[in-house]
Amino acid sequence: MIDAMDKAAGLSPDEALFAARRFRPEFVRGAEECRLSVLQPANDQGLAPNLRVALARRMAALNADPILMAEYDVQLAQLDLTEQLLALAQGETDLIEPLATIVRHVDLITLTPKSAEASHIALLEKAGLNNPQIVALSELIAFVNFQTRVASGLRLMRST
Amino acid sequence: MISSVRLKPLNWHPYIAPVELSEATPEQLEAMKVTPSAKKVSEYVRTLAHDPESYLARTVLFNAIMYVEGGLARPDRELGALGASLVNGCKFCAVVHARRHAELTKSDEVVTALYLDKPEALGPRDAAIYSFARRLSAAPSEATTDDIAALRSVGMDDCEIIDLIHAISIFGWANRLMHVLGHAESG
Repeated sequence: MIDAMDKAAGLSPDEALFAARRFRPEFVRGAEECRLSVLQPANDQGLAPNLRVALARRMAALNADPILMAEYDVQLAQLDLTEQLLALAQGETDLIEPLATIVRHVDLITLTPKSAEASHIALLEKAGLNNPQIVALSELIAFVNFQTRVASGLRLMRST
Repeated sequence: MISSVRLKPLNWHPYIAPVELSEATPEQLEAMKVTPSAKKVSEYVRTLAHDPESYLARTVLFNAIMYVEGGLARPDRELGALGASLVNGCKFCAVVHARRHAELTKSDEVVTALYLDKPEALGPRDAAIYSFARRLSAAPSEATTDDIAALRSVGMDDCEIIDLIHAISIFGWANRLMHVLGHAESG
């Protein structure tokens, strides 16, 4: 069965790389369970799935990953989004709080994780995020950055 | 000859209060039964247990990527993890995985070359792995088909390259937790 990582990598079941990926069923199953745990968790900790998908689409764009952007655009199209969340997904920074603080953090950690400091977590707290929300947001950011790298690595293998 | 670099382990401290075991929910306690590298329930584990669902799913995947049998040799996975951690600025992860690489290979040579920023001292296989790890870890990724060709030219097959992509990418994840949610201190 084709999964989200196959789609992000542009793999179809008739390809050798599709089969090669399945030599590691732990990775295939694990990546999908991780995806569900950050994008459609049973307990969203107050960070709604709409917000999560919009942020994922934003991070796919920050990673200059058009295939992953398109995948998240398909998911966004099925959701009922406010204008604010649509703007957030498109990379806007002029947003209401706490979205403005959240996207500043998302952009920073995606592009320059090296520059992360204690003050950045303090800003999230100041914007009203509690500890479970700070952790859930961090896991979402980190997952999308994992996903785009696995997908781009597989794409490079496919075209070599 | 350059003298070898010996790295001491660092301690990690979170910026937010970790979950107290006495106050943990059943779901959090259940999730914390699985730990990265099967180590103890650390402050890091208790911090991430604030969101037990993602903690458990990620830790299961992390352990598979770093320890599953066969495929890419363990030191090569550690080198991928180290390259990613250096790019992403996670000192704690870099030291942990540099030390594991040195233990597994019984040599400080690779770690010394990287900490002294002399990647030209690496052999061809390590050089191909390290260069790919750095380029794939950039945001956006700077890896190209030349990197894959370089890995193939040192004898890596598709399954090994898939293992390496995962080892590098899971540190694109782990580094963004460890270096973002806390800081490393010596001693």
